[in-house]
Amino acid sequence: MNLIDRYVSEVGKNLPLLNGREDIEKELKSTLEDMLEDRAQSSGHARDEAMEIEVLKEYGAPQKVAQTYNPHPYLIGPKMFPFYLFVLKIVLTVVVSVMLVLAGIQAATDTPFMGADFVKIIGQGLGSALSAAIAAFGNVTLVFVILERVLPDKEIGGFDDEKDWDPASLAKEPDPDSVSRSELITEIVFTFVALAILNIYPQWLGMFFFTENEQVFIPMFTEKFFQFVPWINVLLAAEILLDIYLLRNAIWTRLTRLGKVVIEASSLTLTVLILRTPDIIAFSAESLAGGPFPPEQAEVFVTIATYMFPVIMAIVIIIQSIELVKAVYRLFKMNAK
Amino acid sequence: MANTESLENVVLELRRGVIVLAALSQLGAPEYGYSLLKKLSNLGLEVDQGTLYPLLRRLEAQGLLESVWKLEEARPRRYYVISAEGKKLLPKMKKEWAGIVAVMDKMLS
Repeated sequence: MNLIDRYVSEVGKNLPLLNGREDIEKELKSTLEDMLEDRAQSSGHARDEAMEIEVLKEYGAPQKVAQTYNPHPYLIGPKMFPFYLFVLKIVLTVVVSVMLVLAGIQAATDTPFMGADFVKIIGQGLGSALSAAIAAFGNVTLVFVILERVLPDKEIGGFDDEKDWDPASLAKEPDPDSVSRSELITEIVFTFVALAILNIYPQWLGMFFFTENEQVFIPMFTEKFFQFVPWINVLLAAEILLDIYLLRNAIWTRLTRLGKVVIEASSLTLTVLILRTPDIIAFSAESLAGGPFPPEQAEVFVTIATYMFPVIMAIVIIIQSIELVKAVYRLFKMNAK
Repeated sequence: MANTESLENVVLELRRGVIVLAALSQLGAPEYGYSLLKKLSNLGLEVDQGTLYPLLRRLEAQGLLESVWKLEEARPRRYYVISAEGKKLLPKMKKEWAGIVAVMDKMLS
């Protein structure tokens, strides 16, 4: 392999993964040969290694040359970036707030109230908030990196496209079948975060205690809850796929409306099934015995957790029922057109 | 030093803006990349290879150019030529350019 071939191959290695890599390499080689032929003619002597080096130096470093062919140099492009920042701010605020509140509750309920343990809990709480923020940042960024590559350019362009914007549209009723991109992106991010927590960070679903140099984790749910996780995954993945499809097509159709009804109905059924499953909450006087609570406080905490779970699930069921009714209504309204 | 850099950047931006029009205007007959580069250079427009080749591919992807590989002197060369779509666009681009030149002449004279 001569110097030119090695250079072309080096450029090829650095080219983005796109169709036509071989074509670019072939064209580059042909151009370099043309340049060398030209140089040999004008200098009056045959090409040699020194001339090849001179031409290659003029052409530029392989990485730099390859970079000029990269149609997508951004991790997250400038058109998507404002939405990314918008969602990131919400997610980080929620995640950090929740982690700090949990740390605060833990510090407030722990005894002795002030002292080395208290400082340690606050320190650990801040550490957890920081690691949760980093994980959330990573997950949100990952979702947007995928969206940046999955969505067609014109759809991404639509996020800040002012060309078609008409001030008169402010007075018009919004089209019930048009999709709200910002809502969909926010939903995708939160659904992805839920998927990540359930499958990659299930340890976040519980309580951490730090007792005498020992870290104790008490899970919130029993194995019975985790039996539902594959079904929850299927529904969350279906929701993400539907949202991406809607983002690409920008309009609701009968099929997507029907898909939404199926997802909402399945989610509602699953929530009811989870609620009806006995012994799903893992907090008990025994499990909390390893924590910092005195037995009486542990009992009160278990009672609160046991009663709060059905209340929270009931709220979720009400919200899901409303969403299901809305989805069915919109489907029928579309069919009636 | 900063002034020289600023001037270089402005000149670079100005050139970038005209390369598309320059390339389309010179591809009425098929040319391979290096021959187009030389042609532009002979006409007084120096274009960097790193700018021209990716640009030709982008214009082809946009449907403004067509390309075909030909074997010449035992060397394959990719020839580019303006497409029907490009031919439709070129007069409009020329008109736009003439307008810009007229306005800038008025401003700068």
